[in-house]
Amino acid sequence: MLQASEYKAQDYLAWLHDVKDFRFVEKRKQIKWSAKTVLLVFVGLMLLISIASSGLWLIIATNLPFRHVLGAAIIILSPILLSYLILAPLTIIQLLVQKPIEFVIIYFAKKKLAEHHGVKIAIAGSYGKTSMREILKTVLSEDKEVAAPPHSYNTPLGISKFIKTLRGNEEVLIFELGEYYPGDVKRLCKLINPDIGIITGINEAHLQKFKTIEKTVQTIYELADFLGDKPLYVNGESILARDHARPNHIMYSREGVNSWRMENAHSDLSGTSFVMEKNNVPMEIRSSLLGLHQIGPLALSADLARRLGSTPSHIRAGTLKTKPFDHRLAPSVDRNGVTTLDDSYNGNPDGVKAVIAFLASLNGRRFYVTPGLVEMGSKKEEVHREIGRELARAQIEKVVLVKNSVTPFIEEGLYEEKYEGEVIWFDEALKSFAALPRITVKGDIVLLQNDWPDQYI
Amino acid sequence: MKNKKTIAVIFGGKSAEHDVSIITAHTPIIDTLLTLDEYEVIPIYITKEGLWYSEKQMNYMDYFKGDIQDKFTKLKPLQLSIGEKFSIVLSGMVSKKIDIDLVFPAMHGTYGEDGSLMGILRMANVPFVGCDMAASAVAMDKVLTKQVVSAAGLPVVRYEWLTQNVWEKDRKGFIERASVLQWPLFVKPVHLGSSIAITKVKDRSELEQALEVASHYDNKVLVEESVENLIEVTLPIMGNDILTPASIERPLNKTEFFNFEDKYLSGGKKGSDSGVNNNYSEIPANIPPDLSKEVLKLGKAVYKVLGCTGIARVDFLIDSKTNQVFVNEVNTLPGSLYHHNWKASGVSNVDLIQKLIQLAEERFAKDQKVVRTFESSLLKSL
Repeated sequence: MLQASEYKAQDYLAWLHDVKDFRFVEKRKQIKWSAKTVLLVFVGLMLLISIASSGLWLIIATNLPFRHVLGAAIIILSPILLSYLILAPLTIIQLLVQKPIEFVIIYFAKKKLAEHHGVKIAIAGSYGKTSMREILKTVLSEDKEVAAPPHSYNTPLGISKFIKTLRGNEEVLIFELGEYYPGDVKRLCKLINPDIGIITGINEAHLQKFKTIEKTVQTIYELADFLGDKPLYVNGESILARDHARPNHIMYSREGVNSWRMENAHSDLSGTSFVMEKNNVPMEIRSSLLGLHQIGPLALSADLARRLGSTPSHIRAGTLKTKPFDHRLAPSVDRNGVTTLDDSYNGNPDGVKAVIAFLASLNGRRFYVTPGLVEMGSKKEEVHREIGRELARAQIEKVVLVKNSVTPFIEEGLYEEKYEGEVIWFDEALKSFAALPRITVKGDIVLLQNDWPDQYI
Repeated sequence: MKNKKTIAVIFGGKSAEHDVSIITAHTPIIDTLLTLDEYEVIPIYITKEGLWYSEKQMNYMDYFKGDIQDKFTKLKPLQLSIGEKFSIVLSGMVSKKIDIDLVFPAMHGTYGEDGSLMGILRMANVPFVGCDMAASAVAMDKVLTKQVVSAAGLPVVRYEWLTQNVWEKDRKGFIERASVLQWPLFVKPVHLGSSIAITKVKDRSELEQALEVASHYDNKVLVEESVENLIEVTLPIMGNDILTPASIERPLNKTEFFNFEDKYLSGGKKGSDSGVNNNYSEIPANIPPDLSKEVLKLGKAVYKVLGCTGIARVDFLIDSKTNQVFVNEVNTLPGSLYHHNWKASGVSNVDLIQKLIQLAEERFAKDQKVVRTFESSLLKSL
């Protein structure tokens, strides 16, 4: 579970605190035997033997009162003691080995990037960063050499590894800035020194780590602080991002961006289309991305591309190539005629709201399958009740819920809005996935919303 | 906690369609019952030798993959108990008796689909899914089906039939009679499903060979006219008194006719959830509306005439030039319940299985009201 928590002591301890049955903790992912894991397991075994031996020593070699009870307790409790004590060697490994190596890697990456002439775009936000990166990369790649870190490489080390791969001829570099704790975005800005910034939105995602929404806002706005007068796009559809925007910031939304206005917006299972208009000059945009909430990022990409010198025809061609990414509202139709919208990487309240709105606009019997959202902290109940209310208002026919600590709030929200559809419960997400082919028919639309990793209860 | 009903799914059996039955039992029946989590599911597997076994792992298709014979050397056959309740008794260190509330037969072909199993279940006074004994027995016999259907004035192609006894004693005479029919002809073992050992013949020598083959598989053989300009369609129907048809389905034949391989082996992965028939059939069949109407009307009429209940599938032959529709045969346990067709018609596996259970219970309840015994003074007067 330490591995699943990315070796972050705080997250691991939170899991340790919540878990009730240690027999069934490894449900979705299996342990990966990396060098770090092998070392940690070895050290852990040594520790376990040491703890148990110390209990034995207490019984055999000392004359302390209650030594038998004390010794036996230490032996019996040794696995529990180990679950906490393992953090000590982990911290030592991190401080003495990992950190110095990382420092060197980051130092050389920063130096290499400072000499790079490409335009550096940094994307921060509680959600939508990877989608924004991919849309931007696709659109700009139409006439430019563009590079961006793969997967979710958004930490100093991940980004540094990516910088190492740069050839030097890239015209645009796009970076996602991961934010887990205050200061993270600032640290990444110092590494990247971005020319243009984008704030994709701010909400309760990762609230468990930030504790307060104000800290989340401050952390994400570290990008604005760093950029100063340089261009920064802010998502006008995110209330928190919009409310903290400064006069020089460029707002983008489905309504418009940088004096572009949107018209004839339409989205269905085949994709999204709209017309951008500026000074009576229209630019028709088509994309395979699904949902009207994609208009803002597409429009931003078009505006940014214009800023970097792309022609309207390149922009049209580039946006036409944008398509849903894996697990982000990616549609597929099976041989039984059931459409599945895999949105399992979307786990934030704004994204969920947008997707429910899109689902509501579709024809057919609609299934919404979710284990709820993780890391909602103190907003857990409120966020999930609201999801329930949204689903009821959207009149989604079937809501499939996976039993855990948050989904009962979705059910409560559903009934608050007098939901008339069917709620179907499953003990585990995998059981619900296995059951879906047996409860769906031709023409049904199934939305898979978010994933629920093992470290969350 | 609510007491779960115990449902026994019976499959396998001494039948040429033994393996197909294992697929039907799991996809969609057991898989769906397990998904529902409302029933205790007891798998009952009958070997090709006719021995009955049950253990929990049989609920999963993986149990039957590869060579399974070794598994039964360690296992003891179960026993049936017909008392106040229908039960199975599992031998072991301590024998275990399990009361069965409802049976879901999933056996194709002989001993299962032919009414034999239904006879046991009727005697045991337990509700069971699907057609009852009489309808199953008639539908299993292609000749009997034609006789019943044509007696009701419904159209069938011209045919002749013979028993093994006739084949041995008067084969020339039979070939003479059969030759009066319009060539080419189809030769079919009367009791086998899944198109096993069916041959299309164009002359007397082919007919003789085909009869030789067919009579190895069955003691009764049907010879019938072939429909030219053929459109083959099939219609699954569900219900007891009120009938719900699925979609008319048209197999898109790769071979000259709809054979076993087409039905079970070539249409996607065997035993996969998608089941059979997905890649090679057209649902709904693209036929003119008046033909669709005729098929629906005839399908329901045949279902009623044969006394089908629960579920059945009626197959038709259509001459696309003359627009003549002929009833071909009736299948009282369609492979995998034709769940792919029901799905395409808006009935999910869960809805299908639940509905079939409901229909079984309704028929059983109705049957319980029928007075079958009466006071008699016959013995007293002796």
